Amino acid sequence: MQAAVAVAVGLALGFAVGWWLWPVQYTNTAPAVLRQDYRDDYIVMVATAYEVERDLEQARERLKLLNPEEPAVSVTELAERLIEADGSSEDIARLARLAWALGATAPTLIPYLEGPP
Amino acid sequence: MSHPPARRTAPIIGLVIGLTLGLVYTWVIAPVENINTYPALLRADYHQDWVRLAALSYVADGNLGRARARLDGLKHEDVASAIQTLIEEYAAAGRPADTLRSLTTLAEALDVHTSAMLVYLHTPTSPAPADASAPSPTPTPAPTHTSTPYTLSVLATPTRTPHPPTPTPPPLPPFQVAQQEQICQSGQTPHIEVVVLDEHGAGMAGVEVWLMWPGEADRAITGLKPQSGAGYADFNAERGMPGSVNYTLGVGELGMPLVTDLRITPCPSQKGEEPLLASWRIVLEHRPPETE
Repeated sequence: MQAAVAVAVGLALGFAVGWWLWPVQYTNTAPAVLRQDYRDDYIVMVATAYEVERDLEQARERLKLLNPEEPAVSVTELAERLIEADGSSEDIARLARLAWALGATAPTLIPYLEGPP
Repeated sequence: MSHPPARRTAPIIGLVIGLTLGLVYTWVIAPVENINTYPALLRADYHQDWVRLAALSYVADGNLGRARARLDGLKHEDVASAIQTLIEEYAAAGRPADTLRSLTTLAEALDVHTSAMLVYLHTPTSPAPADASAPSPTPTPAPTHTSTPYTLSVLATPTRTPHPPTPTPPPLPPFQVAQQEQICQSGQTPHIEVVVLDEHGAGMAGVEVWLMWPGEADRAITGLKPQSGAGYADFNAERGMPGSVNYTLGVGELGMPLVTDLRITPCPSQKGEEPLLASWRIVLEHRPPETE
């Protein structure tokens, strides 16, 4: 009986230490596990860097780190969220242009396309 | 009257077993979920790409505060390394000067320095007027640092002020040839290396060097290959038949000629060796302006 109680106490201690006091520390993570605001910023930066580099394949590869199947979806989703939240029109326009270049534009983004590249 | 040893040790063993099982479960089987991380935890290559993206975004939007916020929390050496790499890569690729100027502005704001960026940090200054104005009524103390009289205007803001003709004789060229030698190394392609040194013998980055030959010219800026030294620049010299092209090496915006009649000729070869074309290495030394 005492042994069983001791095992239970040990387990509880183990859970407390492993999940709360001293959890696994992650390094070497990928952009996909960034907090939402960092992920959004990452997408905005990819769209902005695309304006400088004009390297669509590189932009696509970067976006694949967030959504390997449909990299452009992250861009359109973020652009639509920014439109709803009354976000920066410059950021929305950059996202719209990248989405358009990736062939994934949405009707709501059309007004932000000043002239597709 | 004492308890048997098994009765005393059983709870301890149970505790250890429970603790071990708990830790195995929480660290291995069901560790804390890997979500909501931040850029500092990114793998090195993603981390470098994050810095690169932040820098390129600054080039596009010019928002220094935003760039700083994006790089906040990252180690300075990681940021410095990524930005240096980006600037050197862009400089070597011949990216537009405006882009490089923005990157170097960001680098400077972040206290990142690389020799390749020196070229783009020069601000245009017109040549020092020949003290035509009235002399200073009081003796001026010696300057604490000597600013190079040599400035770049090609890559700087294109404000060009006309220079009225002055009756004074032209000043001596600010550079002189300190060394000129042929290089014969197996496997080399004919080229002309230029090393520009200041009066203390240190390499000078950001000096515009011209190689001219009949009807054409090529320009290089020292310091764009930092691995070869801050004052280094080179030119490909594979043109025409050996010895048929007569090169002139000049320095400065106007390509003031310093070395003439440079020709690519064969190296002296030993028997059985494949003939090799010699390259040139020319060391230019900055001549400090003469003071009266």
